[in-house]
Amino acid sequence: MKLSLGARRRRGPDPATTALQVLVMLIIGASALFPLFWMLASSLKTAQELQAAPPVWWSHHPTLSAFANVFRQLPFARMFLNSVVIAGGTTVGIVLTSIMAGYVFAKHRFRGRGLLFSLVLATMFLPPIVLLVPLYRLVQSMGLVDSYLGVMLPNIANAFGIFLMRQFIAGVPDELIDAARIDGASEWGILWRIVTPLLRPAIAALVVFAFVFHWNSFLWPLTVLQSDHMFTVVLGLNRLVSYTSAVRFQNVVMAGATISILPNIVLFLFLQRSFISGIAHTGTKG
Amino acid sequence: MRSRKIEHAWSAIMLSPGLGLILIFIVVPIVLTAWISLHQWSMYTPIRGMHFVGLANYRSIFGDPGFLQALRNTLAYAGLSILFIVPLALAFGMFLFQGTVAGKSALRTVLFIPYMIPTLAVAIIWSYLYSPLYGPLNQILGWVGLQRQAWLGSIDLAMISLVIFNVWQTVGYYTVLVIAGLTQIPIAYYEAAVIDGAGTLQRVAHITLPLLRRTLLFVVVIAVINTVQVFDPVYVLTQGGPAGATNVLSYQIYKSAFEYGLAGRASSMAFVLFVILVVAVAIVMRLLRADEGTE
Repeated sequence: MKLSLGARRRRGPDPATTALQVLVMLIIGASALFPLFWMLASSLKTAQELQAAPPVWWSHHPTLSAFANVFRQLPFARMFLNSVVIAGGTTVGIVLTSIMAGYVFAKHRFRGRGLLFSLVLATMFLPPIVLLVPLYRLVQSMGLVDSYLGVMLPNIANAFGIFLMRQFIAGVPDELIDAARIDGASEWGILWRIVTPLLRPAIAALVVFAFVFHWNSFLWPLTVLQSDHMFTVVLGLNRLVSYTSAVRFQNVVMAGATISILPNIVLFLFLQRSFISGIAHTGTKG
Repeated sequence: MRSRKIEHAWSAIMLSPGLGLILIFIVVPIVLTAWISLHQWSMYTPIRGMHFVGLANYRSIFGDPGFLQALRNTLAYAGLSILFIVPLALAFGMFLFQGTVAGKSALRTVLFIPYMIPTLAVAIIWSYLYSPLYGPLNQILGWVGLQRQAWLGSIDLAMISLVIFNVWQTVGYYTVLVIAGLTQIPIAYYEAAVIDGAGTLQRVAHITLPLLRRTLLFVVVIAVINTVQVFDPVYVLTQGGPAGATNVLSYQIYKSAFEYGLAGRASSMAFVLFVILVVAVAIVMRLLRADEGTE
């Protein structure tokens, strides 16, 4: 039962209120979707239509040729694969390190635990730009410039993931863990066989968070990656803009943008329930 | 019962990958940033070529109009974004939470989708919406009889143009935070207020807003952290222009380090950004704590 701030709810909303709400919803929804509509519509337009002023909203001769063009201009399929490897690998790393550290912070007792956890949380506030110069030299000195590992390694652990996992693991009953201990299970076994299966929604939320964040990332890959065949999709999009700044090539850029957002949208639509409740969790228990 | 020692050993084993990586790739670099900021050093020379100059980099950047402009622009970008985000997220959140029509969860999904998209793609899409001649925004302005704008090409509007699409991209995320806060408010408060004859506006002002303070402060913290590091749209669309109107700290830092090779100077700017963040977050945290004291 949803609560309502109005007393009117009990009698059911009157038609005028309903109509107003529907109108507000349509306006908000249309504003949220319009830029995405424009992206898709532009990717299907012909060069002539792109150069029309005032603009054409929907192509009279929609064509997918711009999508083919993206793959001719750049090794976009390879870039897509690079993004999958980098975002996927980083996500796996984040999930593993976060579950382990989150478990210790939630269920182990030792002196200085609270302080250590606060210090970890404090690193959540540090944007990459603040660390960029030493981080680049560090990765360079490891010989990891222009490599997958160079992009991934500094991101494989993060405070947000540890925080999220700790919050959820704290909700796992101690009795369950103690019972497993009495049965002779090791801490390692308890973590992966007893605790982790209970975390499925939380892990789903973290997977979406981490994958989307690292798929979208621009500054760090821009700094570390140098050759086209190592580029991520987002770096490819940047390259596409600089290759094709003329208006008549907007369809190519927008086709590239459409491809670049697809995996995230699909992932989000599949896992949105866990994801949104995960976000809500960070806001209320923080 | 198992001995404490074994548990401590497991604590260390399970913490070390996560904390080790955070130590190497976050803690050490922030210390190094502070250290490098006291030196003159070219990005392209070995670390031995570093030359201690004390606070000279800081004196130099605070005497540099370009840096001061970037500092002002960054604060303006963050401030303006928050000014839009907080009331909008509050309005959307209350609407989605209390609305009585079907399709609310669909609207929440739709609002959230822009947050999933690469900021670089968002920036590019909006640059086409803003296009003075070929974009739909000026066309729509024309329909309602308003003057066409140069948007990203205008010294006065370039910054607000960046703010607008940042708000568009992120407001769904903040709305979800607000909804989460609203679910924490006990329904009994509202029922009591209704019995006492309080109207809708009074209930919002005296129950919803005060009890949502923590959530709103949290929204502000996250928004500060996210907006002061704005980089992607400036890099791909404006390169800080026109006439420095959108030059922000992160872009200035990146350029100093990777275009001019001035690692010491870039690090001093980065450290200033770090201090700004620490101060901003500390202020909001203090407000949060003061809040806990009064409850």
